[in-house]
Amino acid sequence: MKQRPNISTSISRLVISLVLLVVASSAHAQLKLFRMEKDSIPLFRGFAVSFDLVGPAMLMLSDHGEYEGALRLNLHDQWFPIVEIGIGKANRENDEVTGITYKTTAPYFRIGADLNLMKNKHAANRLYGGLRYAFTSYKVDILRNGLKDPVWLTTSDFGVEGMKCSMHWFEVVFGIDAKIFGPLHLGWNVRYKRRIHHKEGDIGETWYVPGFGVNDKDQIAANFNVIIDI
Amino acid sequence: MRKIILFVFTAIVIGACTSIDCPVQNSVYTVYGLLKANGTTDTLTVDSLSVTTLRANQTVDTLLDRITGKSTFDIPISYTQPEDTLFFTLLDTLGNSYRDTVYLKKDNYPHFESVDCQASYFHRLTDVRSTHHIIDSIVINNPTVNYEATSEHFYLYLKARY
Repeated sequence: MKQRPNISTSISRLVISLVLLVVASSAHAQLKLFRMEKDSIPLFRGFAVSFDLVGPAMLMLSDHGEYEGALRLNLHDQWFPIVEIGIGKANRENDEVTGITYKTTAPYFRIGADLNLMKNKHAANRLYGGLRYAFTSYKVDILRNGLKDPVWLTTSDFGVEGMKCSMHWFEVVFGIDAKIFGPLHLGWNVRYKRRIHHKEGDIGETWYVPGFGVNDKDQIAANFNVIIDI
Repeated sequence: MRKIILFVFTAIVIGACTSIDCPVQNSVYTVYGLLKANGTTDTLTVDSLSVTTLRANQTVDTLLDRITGKSTFDIPISYTQPEDTLFFTLLDTLGNSYRDTVYLKKDNYPHFESVDCQASYFHRLTDVRSTHHIIDSIVINNPTVNYEATSEHFYLYLKARY
């Protein structure tokens, strides 16, 4: 019988509890947080483009990762609507233990907004929290050639090619931006990802999902961004 | 602010944990339940049962070795053969040996769990038949064969032996 550890369930409960704790204990502060500050600074403060360094580093150091960029609007240094686009890739060839080859390359898309949590919204550095809705449609090759039946000793070529899959998920994001000089910022963020809906083939659940990471009910990831104000 | 930093720190620590969700027993088995003609549970009280099969290299492999005192037992199922042939041998306390052959037909479906877990096949049982020296009849109870071997896939009715 298959047994799965309940790590993902525990993480979900912990994250939801912490979010509720933060929300409940600072309800009054939250109202202030969401209210647009009244000052002489205009509403539209420009765009910023950014690209992530963690995904390419993972691609260099492991068999899966992402190239990801984002375009973010700055509304009064407080609200930051954002679109993120990336290409996720996994290429594990002939795993040394299981002999399985897993390949996929596909784009993914996220849309959402960040909120500047700093008391002084117009400071050069920012602490922010945000939400994202994300989607990807991808094809997977899962192959295991020469799979040997341990009892009957027959061999077979196992797997599928071009299996069509898709996934929708949302993300809760917390991060910081630090101004380095001129229009250049550096920042990191931590993302809690929660799967909403997924469609996968008959062979079983896929392993790596572009933009989401290793397939599970939920996932935690981090980005390190180079950000340029336009 | 302190709470937010605490949350982010906790999330990073938890995110550092990884697990591989491979099935505990990465094998796909069929479960056989022994029943009497009236539908009650039968038990190999004093008799012993062995099951063998012929491998691709024409050697005989023992799948079940002289079990006794059992009402249910597990037998592996082949990955990709369209039909498995199993040789059941029942030995009673008087030294009489009864041998039957069971043929089970199935559809085979590749199953993927993770790149870190061994590939396997799931199956859908389509037909079962046997010779009738000691086996009275054998029927499919649950045609779906996967890691969830919680209910009997076959009901095996042996002839009266005592």
